[in-house]
Amino acid sequence: MNDAYAVDVEEVFKSFGSFKALNGVTLRVRKGEIYGLLGPNGAGKTTLIRLICGLVEAHGGTVTVLGRRMPDIAVLRHIGYMTQQAALYPALSVEENVRFFAAINGAEDGVREALGLVQLWERRGSVVSTLSGGMRQRCSLACALVHRPELLLLDEPTVGIDPQLRVQFWDYFRRMAADGTTLVVSSHVMDEADRCQRLGLIQYGRLLAEGSPADIRAQGGSQNLEEAFLALAGRRES
Amino acid sequence: MSGRRVRAITRRLLQGFRRDRRTVALLFVAPIVILGLLGYLMRGSSNVPNVGIASQDSGPLGALVASSLKSSSHIHAVDINASDGDAKLKDGSIVAYILFPADFTRQAQSGSVAPDVHLEGSQPGEDSPVLQALQESMISLASQVAGRSVNFQPRVHHLYGGRNYDTLDYFGAAFVGLVVFFLVFVITIVSFLNERSQGTLERLMASPLRRGEIVLGYMLGFTVLALIQSAEVLVFALAVLKIHNQGNVLLIFGMEALMAIAAVNLGIFLSMFARSEFQAVQFIPLVVVPQVLLSGIIFPVSIEPTALQWLSDILPLTYAVNGMRDIMVKGADLTSSGLQLDAAVVAGFCILLIVAGTATLRRRLA
Repeated sequence: MNDAYAVDVEEVFKSFGSFKALNGVTLRVRKGEIYGLLGPNGAGKTTLIRLICGLVEAHGGTVTVLGRRMPDIAVLRHIGYMTQQAALYPALSVEENVRFFAAINGAEDGVREALGLVQLWERRGSVVSTLSGGMRQRCSLACALVHRPELLLLDEPTVGIDPQLRVQFWDYFRRMAADGTTLVVSSHVMDEADRCQRLGLIQYGRLLAEGSPADIRAQGGSQNLEEAFLALAGRRES
Repeated sequence: MSGRRVRAITRRLLQGFRRDRRTVALLFVAPIVILGLLGYLMRGSSNVPNVGIASQDSGPLGALVASSLKSSSHIHAVDINASDGDAKLKDGSIVAYILFPADFTRQAQSGSVAPDVHLEGSQPGEDSPVLQALQESMISLASQVAGRSVNFQPRVHHLYGGRNYDTLDYFGAAFVGLVVFFLVFVITIVSFLNERSQGTLERLMASPLRRGEIVLGYMLGFTVLALIQSAEVLVFALAVLKIHNQGNVLLIFGMEALMAIAAVNLGIFLSMFARSEFQAVQFIPLVVVPQVLLSGIIFPVSIEPTALQWLSDILPLTYAVNGMRDIMVKGADLTSSGLQLDAAVVAGFCILLIVAGTATLRRRLA
């Protein structure tokens, strides 16, 4: 394992019953980069993210995160995970939610900074059940990054939020990457792909292509990332 | 009002149930299980209570009544020495003993008999078969022997409880524990499911938290609530309802706390087998009702059919209810081996459920 990689997924298989969610995926995420996991709904993005943070175990292959073979509970201290659904305690306030996730990671001193980053410090006393969807997503992000993880796994973090907030989110992500955090962001929105340093295109549980957005365009033979993706997907099927 | 729209709603409802086989099964299986259990409990080949007979009668009546009692279908009568009676009541080998005094036949001849009936008294359900059997045997025999009508006035003595005790005193002890057990179980199972359905459990599992820490944290949190509730229930039962209590209040509270901890862990464990709050609530009739029927709250375990006694013997509530009655009705303290056993079994169940809950946590998450 090369120390330059935060995540090293090697020939991973995962099935749910007869459905093959991941069918021999190999990909590597370099430390400090924003890696975009792209693919249509049901492609295997969420399964891959859950595998990286040890929530599911692979039926074959290996997953190495921050130098440790997964599942390894010791690594989890250094991982932040934002689930697709804003998983929060609705009866607690914004600050209470963030403070809870800080406490279980032993990082109570990060609460103010995390709430500042997602611009919820002023709303810290609001009860989560009274917040808008966008604010909940921001609170959920704060919970994922409050312990300053080395690796941040974001499962479709911008689904259901308005374009303005999406721009803000990507601004947070870039600032974190600049500070040395590795980010894995899954999305099925192609215009987000251009904001990543490297991309992995996933379909039917397989990695179709990997590289920088420019590489993907070149491999797909199109200036448009979406067309390049469709071309690569079509090539694999034929 | 449109018939078509109403039909659409009705059809939608039934379609949903078609895919939720578990709910359908519960809808049709649970009533049969519960009523079947009740039927077997009340009409199955019930065991009858053991009753000691001590006849000191110098005349023939005592022996005649004793032999009639031995053929009674209400009780299982055995000969004992009058001096052993109280000891046997205390060790639980008999639920009552009947003493015919030396002048018993003479009493009948003078028109009024008063045998002494000593009842254990902590479970009212065990008393009536004893008095019924005695009355049936007495009525015909006493008048045959005396050759005249005889007035039958047994002198009833209670080892525990007694005339000052009403129904609430007997059931109250058990219900104080049951109320706490039931409510804590429902709240725990539903909140643990919330943790799963709102996605926060997934987050917790992707954190450095260990499974045991999650279960223990939950247990402590709910236990705090349960202890406050236990204290409230206890104060209400003793101060407002004025349920008789012979025992130490702290011991009652301790037993309630053990029941609450068992209920918390039962809730956490069973939440692993439900996918929604709806399915969680379905555990109530299956988990709680049989325990209420079989734990001795209403029907004494000693007179249940033998097969149900085995079932009663593995239910935690049986021991909890027994412990509560031992404390409140019998005034037992921690030197009592019965109470030690009850507390140990309930505590053992708590540990078993903590281990089971922790072990099944990951399985349902993956």
